[in-house]
Amino acid sequence: MIISTTDLTQNVTSPAEITSAAVKLRQAVMDVEISPNDVLTVFDSWAKSLGSRELDDMPGIVFLRMWLRRGTLEPIIARELGSNGLHGGWTEYGRAKCKAFPVGVVGHWPAGNVEIQPLLSMTCALLGGNAALVRIPSGLVDLTRCLMGKLVQSDPGEILTRRIFMAAFEHTRQDLHEAMARAVDGAMIWGGEEAVLQIRALPFPHWAKLAVFGPRISVAAMDAGAWSNLQERESWCLRIARDVWQFDQQACSSPQVLFLEKGNGQLTAQFLPSLRRAFETENKAHPRRTIPAALTSAICQARASWLLKDTAHQAVFPSGPDWTLLLGAGSGLPQPIQGKTLTVLEVDNLSDPISKFDGNVQTLGLGMADQEKEREIALLAGRKGVDRIVKLGRMHVFFPPWDGVDLIRPMVRMVRHVCSTD
Amino acid sequence: MPELADKIDRVLSMAPYCQPPDERQAGLLEILKEELDYACQRHAGYKNYVQQWPLDYRSADEIADLPFLPVGILKANPPLSFVGPDEIKKTLTSSATTSQIPSRVVLDMPTTRRMTKGTAIILRDFIGPARRPYLVVDTPSLMGGTNALGARGAAIQGLQPFANETTYCLGLNDQGDLTLDQDRLREFAKDRQDTELLVYGFTFILWNHLVKPLMAEGICLNLPKARILHSGGWKRLQDQAVEKSLFNEQLAEVCGCSPDRVVDFYGMVESVGVIYPDCPEGNKHAPGFGDVIVRDPLTLKPVAAGENGIVEVCSILPTSFPGNLLLTEDVATVIAYDGCPCGRRGISFRFAGRIPKAELRGCGNLQVNRSLVN
Repeated sequence: MIISTTDLTQNVTSPAEITSAAVKLRQAVMDVEISPNDVLTVFDSWAKSLGSRELDDMPGIVFLRMWLRRGTLEPIIARELGSNGLHGGWTEYGRAKCKAFPVGVVGHWPAGNVEIQPLLSMTCALLGGNAALVRIPSGLVDLTRCLMGKLVQSDPGEILTRRIFMAAFEHTRQDLHEAMARAVDGAMIWGGEEAVLQIRALPFPHWAKLAVFGPRISVAAMDAGAWSNLQERESWCLRIARDVWQFDQQACSSPQVLFLEKGNGQLTAQFLPSLRRAFETENKAHPRRTIPAALTSAICQARASWLLKDTAHQAVFPSGPDWTLLLGAGSGLPQPIQGKTLTVLEVDNLSDPISKFDGNVQTLGLGMADQEKEREIALLAGRKGVDRIVKLGRMHVFFPPWDGVDLIRPMVRMVRHVCSTD
Repeated sequence: MPELADKIDRVLSMAPYCQPPDERQAGLLEILKEELDYACQRHAGYKNYVQQWPLDYRSADEIADLPFLPVGILKANPPLSFVGPDEIKKTLTSSATTSQIPSRVVLDMPTTRRMTKGTAIILRDFIGPARRPYLVVDTPSLMGGTNALGARGAAIQGLQPFANETTYCLGLNDQGDLTLDQDRLREFAKDRQDTELLVYGFTFILWNHLVKPLMAEGICLNLPKARILHSGGWKRLQDQAVEKSLFNEQLAEVCGCSPDRVVDFYGMVESVGVIYPDCPEGNKHAPGFGDVIVRDPLTLKPVAAGENGIVEVCSILPTSFPGNLLLTEDVATVIAYDGCPCGRRGISFRFAGRIPKAELRGCGNLQVNRSLVN
């Protein structure tokens, strides 16, 4: 089988195709060493080619363009691979020098709910000088094929394209998953609990390095000074709506609940009309095109359970399943519903809910007026397992460390050299 | 409440499938609004739900605008009730094949009476009013004699008004499994080739415990005038890949009647007193005391004829629990909003199965607390 560099996304039907592709990918890594700077040159060109207007409606395209820019990635490379890492050089650490080398072929199992995740995951491995063998979820094949076509055009020297194989196959093909696992030296695994457990159980070689980005939920929180500020309120609400809307609230970085701290003599219920307006605005700008009936059913169930359970509970929602705001009080984490269903809970003190986090919370999106309090909250959240603490409106900004770990470094070997002549 | 009860009874006294859709809609809408008023007086949580519905039900022009409840809400324990404990006559539980958690609905005396009457009115339209020997393909132990009744028991009981004698032809063996009592079955069938009969069983029970054993032994009961009703859905026959046409043919073959005497009806414990038998065209219809709305999952608005959506069942019969406007977990196709060749007025539709379970996917799909795992 020949790896076509004009169409990097192949419909794979047999384990032999994967094994054969992996052999070629490994050879490509052995043949030529590429530095992160070489990779960035192609990425920069690819980012520019993604600027065409016909791609504007593609989910995640704006983010992908930003991510691929030299200005975004250079600081990440320096932090993860050392000050000379950009050009593939050795970085001195006392009497020793360290340099990153690729692990080899990295397998990627992205989640099916984040459209550009196959590409983001792939870029992390390429920056480490690796080859990438990427499983494309069936729902993302067309989009991936389109974006990868732009990469092919941006890489006439095949610096990167000869190191990439995108394998499209159904998630039920256990034989193909196993062939992929056997063929790789490292793996980046993203997704829900079921997917992660199944993939982690595949027959990887004993030397394979695994980076797992499993299921998490995210939370938004505001102190009284922030939400009660009338000048800032509308802007905060738009930021929250934007965080909820992206990825249809199914991403690990999507807020499922907003905690509002009491205080400043205002009722948290006064915040609700502004939040409602922001949700209506966002819905108008980005309406849903389709929805699984099961999600509609779950949304209706959530609305009814919430209002029947407690007469103090309030809710705001349109006639359709477009979005839902559930308002109440309490510091416990509610069961995530997704589908743009945000539970808004009033608390006496933001420390109350955060001290109950159990490691499942990935991102804490904050809107705080009190800086000293924000420092305390960040410290407490870190202790309680939160990996990212960011400003509301930036909860999906994909910047490592992600889930508490680096993105490039897990798929490289840091080789240490202490010179024998010293 | 007495005035409301009279209005419900008046609708129940009308022929169930004759009213033009607009006329029926207007009559039902008025009663349903009164029932919502009544329910809000009886249940503070329900009132909270209704009050926060995006449209005020009192100014609604269509039944589709009224606040519906997802049927899963009826899995609450203790059950949602609009009556005091002393008024509860019976509690029905669903078969819970999907979620393992049964729905529970409480019935007071008026709702029980209307439930029996509603089922009888519908069936009379399909099988005629006569009482006849009734063969139940199930075990009498279901009926129990207590105030709690499961879905199978409720369906068996709903057909009693058409029986002048009742025979149960299944028993339980020592392991508690259903077994066919062939002697009792033969006794029931003896010399009845010219008699109008009623046979009822849950779909999977008829297949597993009547059709399969009789087919295996090549037995035909020779009951050409049997009318065979079945309900309960096809879910438990999915793994045996039993199609409706094969089911009808083989059931008719062992009973010795024509396949068109087999009638599948849809009913749910949560929508007491309303069942949906197949008409000769293979469609289902809503009776005059209820309606069916098929909603688009994307907008929750009613779909156009020919389209699929989530089924909402509406009924004016229950006043003891919130079963008037229920969004089910079933999907159906609207065939037409009127004009079924069978002559029954109003919506005609066909079920297309359960709502497909959501695919577990994505990095934000988290159902388990770590603290609970640890």
